[in-house]
Amino acid sequence: MKINLRHATILGLVLIVAGAVIFLIKSSVLHYPLSPGERTTLWDFELYLEFEGRNEPARIEAYIPAGDVERAFPQEEFYNGSFGLSLIGENGTRNRKAVWTYRYPADKKVLRYAVQTLGETQSTPLPLAFRESEPQIIPFEADEVKRQAFIVWSGNLRQRSADDQSFADLALKSVFETRADNEQYADEVAALLDEGEGVVGRLVLAQQLLQSQGVPARIAGGVYLSDERRRLETRRWLEYHIDGEDFRFFPSDAPDRFFTIWYGPRPLVSADGVDDLDVQIALRSLDTSASAVAANTPGPLGDFGRAVGFGALPLTTQLVYQVLITIPVGITILVFLRQFIGFKTLGTFMPVLIGIAFRETALLNGVLLFTLLVALGLTLRFYLERLHLLLVPRLAVVLIFIVMTMAGITVLMTGANQAIGLSISLFPMVILTMTIERMSIVWEESSASEAIKQGFGSLAVAAITYLAMTNSYVEYLMYQFPELLLVLMGLCVLMGRYTGLRLMELWRFRALAN
Amino acid sequence: MFRTYQALKRNGVIGINERNVRFVNSLNARKFLIRVDDKELTKLLAKDAGIPTPELYGVIKNARDMRRLAEFIDHSDGFVIKPAMGSQGKGIMVVDGPLKGGWRLSSGRRTDLEAMKYQINNMLSGMYSLGGQPDKALIEYRVKFDDVFGQVSYKGVPDIRVIVLKGVPVFAMLRLPTAESDGKANLHKGGVGAGIDLATGRTKRAMQHDQFVEIHPDTGYPLEDIQTPYWGDILLMAAKSYEMTELGYVGVDIVLDRDKGPLLLELNARPGISIQIANRVGLRFVLDKAEALGREARTPEERVEIAKTLC
Repeated sequence: MKINLRHATILGLVLIVAGAVIFLIKSSVLHYPLSPGERTTLWDFELYLEFEGRNEPARIEAYIPAGDVERAFPQEEFYNGSFGLSLIGENGTRNRKAVWTYRYPADKKVLRYAVQTLGETQSTPLPLAFRESEPQIIPFEADEVKRQAFIVWSGNLRQRSADDQSFADLALKSVFETRADNEQYADEVAALLDEGEGVVGRLVLAQQLLQSQGVPARIAGGVYLSDERRRLETRRWLEYHIDGEDFRFFPSDAPDRFFTIWYGPRPLVSADGVDDLDVQIALRSLDTSASAVAANTPGPLGDFGRAVGFGALPLTTQLVYQVLITIPVGITILVFLRQFIGFKTLGTFMPVLIGIAFRETALLNGVLLFTLLVALGLTLRFYLERLHLLLVPRLAVVLIFIVMTMAGITVLMTGANQAIGLSISLFPMVILTMTIERMSIVWEESSASEAIKQGFGSLAVAAITYLAMTNSYVEYLMYQFPELLLVLMGLCVLMGRYTGLRLMELWRFRALAN
Repeated sequence: MFRTYQALKRNGVIGINERNVRFVNSLNARKFLIRVDDKELTKLLAKDAGIPTPELYGVIKNARDMRRLAEFIDHSDGFVIKPAMGSQGKGIMVVDGPLKGGWRLSSGRRTDLEAMKYQINNMLSGMYSLGGQPDKALIEYRVKFDDVFGQVSYKGVPDIRVIVLKGVPVFAMLRLPTAESDGKANLHKGGVGAGIDLATGRTKRAMQHDQFVEIHPDTGYPLEDIQTPYWGDILLMAAKSYEMTELGYVGVDIVLDRDKGPLLLELNARPGISIQIANRVGLRFVLDKAEALGREARTPEERVEIAKTLC
């Protein structure tokens, strides 16, 4: 007896803890959102390469985003045509390259790479590999004249700055300001930059300045996720890291969201042996629920999250489970109402089944329909009593009568342009029939008031469970986190061992309370 | 609310939850429940155990047996038809005797063979049985109740409910029909329950509708201090039910017949808990005490002696 009690308590707690742990993993580690309708923008990124084959060996290299611990692209797509594809990882830079090759391509060819991404913001930390790299001083290397100019310049900047941080600010300012605003160092910049070098040249210079002072810095390339376009320019910016803080310097306007594709000064795509290379980058925003994004988390943890969920099922099955999964919530509430409050209902789970039927009709219509059908059914049942029919045929008559009444209501309501008539099709007539039968027995054996009391008790419980089961948060949470079923099961186990008085028994035994 | 809870707990009042978990579920083995759920089996076992019950006139299990109905009910002093597996008195038909080609019900109305067959058919199809499984109908002797409780009964048959824990009678209550309960002794229908002192067999004060009452609502006679005849026999019958059923927690329903003395009417493996109000004391401490004392007792007689010392 004592052991049973402890056993049940432990079992209940274990179930609750197990469910809660899975829930916490999914919500805080995998970032499954806790409320429905939380939406994020997901971007469809596409790299589209078009070129003319020259009938000689061709090799097209393109940087593609590197997936790793911090970000992942589970839905990458390559369109290779007849080309061979190899993926190459570059050491150090964590770049990833797609290399397409073909011996003798002729005519127009198309290659395509597509991926979905959430993108990054200014507050996204820099990649770990970069952050954790040891700071080292990389001396500037060039011909003697340039080196002298660089040393004088950087020495001067250093003198005027207090620390790495202010040095970086100063350096970036001097590199990127126009000639007119930057009289002091305009000559040095001009001398160090080769003629015709654009943003990339300046970024290289800034990188070299920072690296000469031992500040890790590198050039990143990518796109700004600000607009939906077919032909997007690639952008370059500088990433550097000072005293545990991440910085990104955007030469042009800083974007809200961007997407890093590769690192280093080299261009995104390079090709050999082809003509008329046309590189198109397209972006399309996908407004999608945050849970769909969380469900795409890669790795074993992501697999785990998907395993504890319905995402893999066909859509129609998912819809069924969306409803089914809320029933245990109603049942748990019913258990509470019976074990702790002391509600009396006709039949054990009948109220929950009625509550499910309300899903089709909405609450008010459901209550009206239920009351109407039960009242009519009871009337018929009392009439049949006089005919002395046997039990099962009598139940059948009541059931047929219920179906007829439901059909009649539907026809009437449709004539009056009321939609509710159509929604009652799934009203559980067998349950209604049994309810009527039970109620009429209570009516005869106890009293009419008792029967009506139990009928309304059932209706009240049905309404409560209906409201709980159709609550959008409950629906969402149960569907997204089916592990909560374990919690409900645990709760029911614990409630099953509750031996205290019910709320209604306090009233019943009030005479003994003093 | 919390104070009420505390006070009830202090007074040892147990609720349905505790009754089910601590007593019904852990003391009553499922395999033995049929012994009390099937009243025909109860009668057979009682006969073996030497506990008197109302005489069984016949059993109707199917349509074939129905042909013998007229033969079974051929008793001018009336009879009772009841479902073998009914609960809470559902479906019971009490017939007082013949009336102008038909029969007179205890409620005073007239009935005929046709109506009886209909009622029996309802019983057979499980309308009154637990879980709705097919049932059988018992036709038995109608108890001519002892006049001793006549002043405090309104129609119907008063009965004595004894709660027996592992063979030790622990609580007893006299259940009296009222106008409101329609001649039935069920408390939830508005019957009156009067606690009985186990040692003496005299009634204590009483209750109706969960409230204390002093007098019978219909007859106006005081409910207190009525001596139950055959009290020793009644306790012994209750105690013997333990060997008979091997159930650790039962409610034993006994009626007093004018001629035959106490008769075992039925046993209940899930006795209600209103008896606490009738006795004005919670069940828990008495049950605990009986459980402790009852371990040493071997025979029903010894357990009856323990019962008399409980309160």
